[in-house]
Amino acid sequence: MADALTEKGSARSWRAPRLTLRQREAIEAWLFVSPTVAGFLLFFLGPLAAVVYFSLTEWNLLTQQATFVGVKNYVDALSHNPDFWHVLRNSFVFAMGLVPLNMALALSLALALSRPFRGVIFFRTVFFAPVVTSAVAWAIVWRFLLQGEGGAVNQMLALVGIDGPNWLREPDWAMVAVIVTRVIKMVGLNMILYIAALQAIPRDYEAAARLEGASNWQIFRMVIWPLLAPTTLVIFVITMIGSFKVFDHIYLMTGGGPENGTLVLAFYIYEQGFKFFNVGYASALAMIMFVIVLVLTVVQMTLRRRDMQ
Amino acid sequence: MTLTVRQARIIARICWTVALLVVAVPFVFPFLWMVSSGFKSATEIFGQPSLIPRVWRWQNYLEVFEYQPFARQYFNSLYIAVAVTGLTLVISSLAGYALARMRFAGAGLLMLFLLSALMVPEEVTIIPNFFLIRWMGLMDTHAPLILLPVFGSHGVMATFLMRQYFLAIPKELEEAGKMDGLSPFGIWWRIALPMSRPALAAVSIITFLFSWNLFLEPLVFISSLEKFTLPLALSNFTDSYGLPLWHLQLAATSLAVVPILIVYLIAQRQIIESFALSGVKG
Amino acid sequence: MTSLTLRNIKKSFGATQVIKGVDLEIADGEFVVFVGPSGCGKSTLLRMIAGLEDITEGEIYIGERKVNDVQAAQRGVAMVFQSYALYPHLTVRDNMAFGLKVRKVPASERERRVREAAASLKLEALLDRYPRELSGGQRQRVAIGRAIVGNPQVFLFDEPLSNLDAELRVHMRSEIAALHQRLENTMIYVTHDQIEAMTLADRIVVLREGVIEQVGTPRELYESPANLFVAQFIGSPRMNVLPARAVAGRLAARGLNIGAAEGVGMRPEHISLTAPESGLLRGRVALSEYTGAATLLHVELEEGETALVIANGPAVPANGQEVGLEIAREHLHVFDKAGRAIRPLVQAA
Repeated sequence: MADALTEKGSARSWRAPRLTLRQREAIEAWLFVSPTVAGFLLFFLGPLAAVVYFSLTEWNLLTQQATFVGVKNYVDALSHNPDFWHVLRNSFVFAMGLVPLNMALALSLALALSRPFRGVIFFRTVFFAPVVTSAVAWAIVWRFLLQGEGGAVNQMLALVGIDGPNWLREPDWAMVAVIVTRVIKMVGLNMILYIAALQAIPRDYEAAARLEGASNWQIFRMVIWPLLAPTTLVIFVITMIGSFKVFDHIYLMTGGGPENGTLVLAFYIYEQGFKFFNVGYASALAMIMFVIVLVLTVVQMTLRRRDMQ
Repeated sequence: MTLTVRQARIIARICWTVALLVVAVPFVFPFLWMVSSGFKSATEIFGQPSLIPRVWRWQNYLEVFEYQPFARQYFNSLYIAVAVTGLTLVISSLAGYALARMRFAGAGLLMLFLLSALMVPEEVTIIPNFFLIRWMGLMDTHAPLILLPVFGSHGVMATFLMRQYFLAIPKELEEAGKMDGLSPFGIWWRIALPMSRPALAAVSIITFLFSWNLFLEPLVFISSLEKFTLPLALSNFTDSYGLPLWHLQLAATSLAVVPILIVYLIAQRQIIESFALSGVKG
Repeated sequence: MTSLTLRNIKKSFGATQVIKGVDLEIADGEFVVFVGPSGCGKSTLLRMIAGLEDITEGEIYIGERKVNDVQAAQRGVAMVFQSYALYPHLTVRDNMAFGLKVRKVPASERERRVREAAASLKLEALLDRYPRELSGGQRQRVAIGRAIVGNPQVFLFDEPLSNLDAELRVHMRSEIAALHQRLENTMIYVTHDQIEAMTLADRIVVLREGVIEQVGTPRELYESPANLFVAQFIGSPRMNVLPARAVAGRLAARGLNIGAAEGVGMRPEHISLTAPESGLLRGRVALSEYTGAATLLHVELEEGETALVIANGPAVPANGQEVGLEIAREHLHVFDKAGRAIRPLVQAA
């Protein structure tokens, strides 16, 4: 009886080293993950360790030598350099402005667009379009639109009798402008996450609440909002982290100005590291950013775990 | 006069639509203004603004290519995005498959490490990566623009997305493959991948856009004009005082954005779903 | 020859042991069915034979060859999965030819074998369809066809009929039986359905919690179950088991001493109805379920137990009627405290 299954098998077993199935699987698995692991060590874990070390050194530009200075860079940032607290404050103002605005708008749009009606695809497409657009292009166009004189936004405001400010040249307005334009750019992403979550809620819940005489607002407040809580938590954290990372938007719209009014942490790191070559100081700043992001992540994980119990 | 339920519903619908249209203005307006201003002359741009240019200046689009090697830069962005997408697909689906389906010592630890990478912004590691790339002699080349996204947090996100999708494939299919004599590599290539087209498409879309829109890395690693990528090139249309040459900058930006928008309009459903998938993971 | 030998097979997932030492010999050409409730380890055992689960302890031989560390594809076995596991992106033809292609069988040979298998399973007309275009029964046939084309020494079936509706299940059952008669291969079949086990098997292996409870022909298992578990698992409706004290006296009165027994088992189909005074047991009909071929009576006994009785024939007692129950002594099953069958069943006093 000619047998395709075993002939080959016995032939192979002569050559194959004696490995248990389990050992073989483990070796194959490590081959599968090896590119990822190699890249991870080289471009992530190594640099992460390096940034810790760099943050404890001072860099001499002329000799290209690093001198160990302990926590001096951190002390500089936290107690000597007035810029740092200013930058941190800016980052928090940016986040505190962006996150609630983004989430409220995203949720409102999602509620309006989670059920099919004529035009729903059109609106979803429109609100999501800025997400696929490059941040650079978006910033360039808005910088153009927000010019003080002759800018299209102010021209339109003039039509209704409002004398618009020179948006990007006044520190407070600049902050408002970068926040609002960033929200418009990114809100589509959170909107679709909310839409997905809303569509996953069984319609029966709403029907049951309606039969019990609940109003729209009551249904939202007592049924939908609690069911959205896990999504809201995820969205909150990714939006928060995203707002601390914002760089290209600021770089192109205001360059951190005016009067450092929009100088945020990511931009400050770039400036210190690549413009002034304060490698040690910039690394310390990067570590501080790392810690902020880490804290946010841990908070999310703890809340999510508690949520699951 | 009282309204019937039906009438009330229609009126409510109209109010909603009008409200949504008003909200949509700042989302659409910048695109319209960008394209129209790209056709204006430098002088008209600072005159009384109107959405339709008084004179359509097509030469703007020629000057864009004369001002800097824009075609070359455009091509750079395109080929880098293709390379990043291709490499990410292969590497992340390999690792994602092993993490979803294979048992090996260290899998849990590896997952944990990769998860942590997901959280860390590029800004944190960009400084040591700068020295690493310089030490490797890859400054002012496109290598870092390909390597860093593939192995950075974006690549990790793609790995988890693929892993999630592989987990949902019925295990018996892969076992049937095993019984049929496929190696793990064969199972990955001939069963897992053909069945993961939606996930592969999602990873392709978000990876392509991620690379296409990348700004910090080119800014740090690239210095010669002909090696610029689009985002860098767009930010570079300035006069000798560093002030923007609006008409050229907006024409160039239109050239960079409009093709993406057209693809987006055609495949909006697929693209939006891809982001939804990755967002849930992130 | 492809016999199969399992020697002291154990399997643990982490700290939980799911197979606790299984010894089994399967003869060449034998149709063996692993049966047991869910979680008994029958599928795990099958998957260990297939090479899909590694073996924590013990040895598996296929023929003369120890296969513990032989990869699944090289063990000479083919498997039919519960979900059929047809590749959704391949046609029926490509699904069936896939394994041959992987093993680099020439195209003409592949085509010939697929044709043969398709002809024997009446799949010719479906060869260019995709799995999603097939009905459940057709998919099942393709899954079997895929197993056949590889010409395996041993066929493994993992609950292959559990996704089919009742009618199709009966039909496919007979097809699998015919397949075995035709191919005469060794087959191992896993099911939780004791009817499937009884109808298909040369020998049945009853498993519970990772341990073999009994191995035997369907008849052996039905007629002389080794223990209470097998007694109640095999046979439908379940065997009635009454506490020994409830019947010991009456049995003794008939000259039967059941000694240290804890329970006495009687199959519903072995109990006959008599007049209330003359039966071994006496009770009242609480519920009668007419199924057409027979009537299933729930009889509340004087002792407070309920016994199931299958009544044939037209004269079925009405609800509430007093009846007597009678059973032949060779149909009594007696179990000790640990649930083991006591044999010979009944000794004369």
